[in-house]
Amino acid sequence: MRVVVADDVMLTRQGIVRLLRDAGIDVVAEAEDADGLLRHVRLARPDAAIVDIRMPPTHTDEGLVAAQAIRTEHPAVGVLVLSQYVEPSYAMRLIEEHPERVGYLLKERVFDVAVLIDALRRIADGETVIDPTIVSRLVGRRRREDPLADLTEREREVLGLVAEGLSNKAIASRLFITERTVEAHVKQIFLKLQLNTNSDSHRRVLSVLAYLRAGA
Amino acid sequence: MSVRPANLARLAAGTFALAYGLGALAVALGPGELTTYAGRSDLAATLAVVAGFALVAAGLVTSFARPAGRIGDLALPASVVWFAPFWAGWKGGPPLVLSLGTLAAGFALPLLLHLVLAYPTGRLRSKRERALVLAVYLEAGLSALGRALFRDPFFDPYCWDNCTDNVFLVRSLSRVARGIQDADLWFTVAAAAALAALCIWRLAAASASARRTLWPVLAGGIALSAATIAHSVALVRTPLEDPSNPAFLSIFAVGCAAVIVIALGLPWGLLRARVQRRSVARIVAELGEAPPPGSLESALARAIGDPELRIAYWLPASRRYVDGLGRPVEEPVVASGRAVTALVRDGRQVALVTHATAIAELERELGAAVRLALENERLQAEILAQLHDLRVSRMRIVETGDAERRRLERDLHDGAQQRLLALSYDLRVARAAAEAEGDVQTASLLGDATGGAQAALGELRELADGIHPAILTEAGLGAALESLADAAPLAVEIGETAGERFPAPVETAAYLVVAEAIDDAARRGASYAAVTAPRDDDRLVVKVEDDGSQRTSTMIRLADRVGAIGGRLEIEATTLRAEIPCA
Repeated sequence: MRVVVADDVMLTRQGIVRLLRDAGIDVVAEAEDADGLLRHVRLARPDAAIVDIRMPPTHTDEGLVAAQAIRTEHPAVGVLVLSQYVEPSYAMRLIEEHPERVGYLLKERVFDVAVLIDALRRIADGETVIDPTIVSRLVGRRRREDPLADLTEREREVLGLVAEGLSNKAIASRLFITERTVEAHVKQIFLKLQLNTNSDSHRRVLSVLAYLRAGA
Repeated sequence: MSVRPANLARLAAGTFALAYGLGALAVALGPGELTTYAGRSDLAATLAVVAGFALVAAGLVTSFARPAGRIGDLALPASVVWFAPFWAGWKGGPPLVLSLGTLAAGFALPLLLHLVLAYPTGRLRSKRERALVLAVYLEAGLSALGRALFRDPFFDPYCWDNCTDNVFLVRSLSRVARGIQDADLWFTVAAAAALAALCIWRLAAASASARRTLWPVLAGGIALSAATIAHSVALVRTPLEDPSNPAFLSIFAVGCAAVIVIALGLPWGLLRARVQRRSVARIVAELGEAPPPGSLESALARAIGDPELRIAYWLPASRRYVDGLGRPVEEPVVASGRAVTALVRDGRQVALVTHATAIAELERELGAAVRLALENERLQAEILAQLHDLRVSRMRIVETGDAERRRLERDLHDGAQQRLLALSYDLRVARAAAEAEGDVQTASLLGDATGGAQAALGELRELADGIHPAILTEAGLGAALESLADAAPLAVEIGETAGERFPAPVETAAYLVVAEAIDDAARRGASYAAVTAPRDDDRLVVKVEDDGSQRTSTMIRLADRVGAIGGRLEIEATTLRAEIPCA
């Protein structure tokens, strides 16, 4: 797999690059700002780009803007955004227009090589990756009349994994159950929450996230 | 009115002018023949007499009514000179009277010109005017002297009124006398033209209210100039002046009419000034007990009829000028058509007033009550200015604090967090190495350390977010409030929220109101809070309602925070409502 890494802090960038190379991933270019990133993506046509959300000049959401630009201009290139912020609205902004081949991970997870490689693989497979911390914050959000209270323990587990962007197959292998069982759970969940059943797994991430966020 | 020597002198001069005028009238009506215009035509006689007495009356009225009275002091001698032709044309009168009458008649134009230009204050306003007045007096004096010494009216071929007597004659030099007459003629044309030009310029430059005071006298001055020029031109064409000639008669009639207009204009100006003074004095009564700040300026402008009038109060402590509302203003300067009057009380400057130049001696016009009101408003303006300074500095403190928090948040992300990230990387590399070497114990220790580093990173993230939520700066209030709701320990519903962006201090204050209200609600055992933050005209109205127990906290820091940017915080048992100006 060919990857471009963009982070303005050299230490972090080099750490990520070493980690990826040790894992046998081909890092084709490094960038320290959004312009450099876009240039490298245009020239190198990587499979994915790893992008820090905070980059010069304002150190706020440059990485997010760059990620959206990459998804629009180069649909074949996946993007993994690394963020300091547990902000569902950032994650939703990222997947809103192009839900496939994108990921939003908290930065502190980046050196957990298993997580990083798994995320890259899933993105390359066309899936969506949402950080579990964000999902658990949304699932754990206090509600006055909590519709999630109607779900079983297992159903809530499945709902969380759906929100993280996992496919039915991936959920099945994660929970050691059959894909068919997962499908049944998902159907049940969507029925209980009165969500529109949608076969498109990317869209279902967004609608689940939006559902979890709506109202109290 | 106290009787002062100056007023006694005026009384005497007035009495004299009246008697003198009546004498002239007696001569005109008397059995003898009168060789001037008044002797030839009833209309001319009536106009000339009315003009003369109008000047006497105007002089008497204005010299007593105004303390300075200079205008009246000019009107009386003008009336005396005006009647001079009556005496000069007294056929068979005493030779000395005839000679003096002939000479004095030459001073009519200088005195009337001086009178018009000095109106309404009695003072000439510019070097230009002073030079013109001086020149006409000088020329009239020299011309009179020359004619007294060298002109024998008996040998003057163009003599028409007094052709018999000059008791001052030293030597009869008819060519010199003729030359003096010709020079006088042309000089008079030039002086009259200058007078007309100055009158027109003053009318054009005056403000609307000033023009209302000025126009009768200045219009009379222009008509007088026109009559004077026409008279000179007629003389050039017909050197022998004939009062029966319709052209000469018409010119004379216009001149008389002009003098009547000027004479009536003097008390008119007086009347307007008095009305003005009354309305100025009434200002204080109209303002009432507690006038709103800045109302004195508009009241004074209205009373004086000068909408451009401005008051700049002097604040000695901070050495600057402010308006009635305490807002800083430039130091007033004199501009074209505008005058600046300093108002002083007990030797201290209170204010500078910019007004139309026509309002003469503004300071005197203001009564004691207006002065007191001005001093009061100055004090009020000073307090308002200090309040404004305080508000600005309070806001600056808040903004500095916010900037500091943003900087701190950024430093945490870019400094401590990056170091912790590097540390956790090293720990993982070391752990991998230990595992590769089969050192299970070290690997396990390093694994624990990695977990510690992860936890530290998580806590650091929470801390930075608490210091300043980046999403507020980046995505605005709506997104930041949603984020608060995500993490809140109770159910928080975000209702109607203004979608647009506001200045950072407004967004920060609104965010802090909601954040603190949610914290407070959680402390009081609430399970639900409803948040709305819609825009209402020029205010952002933030409201947080919860179902917790009664509030005990005064939320004083939050109230300060909202107050610092000019907003208001209402604290009720389970509702917090903030109105924040956001325009």
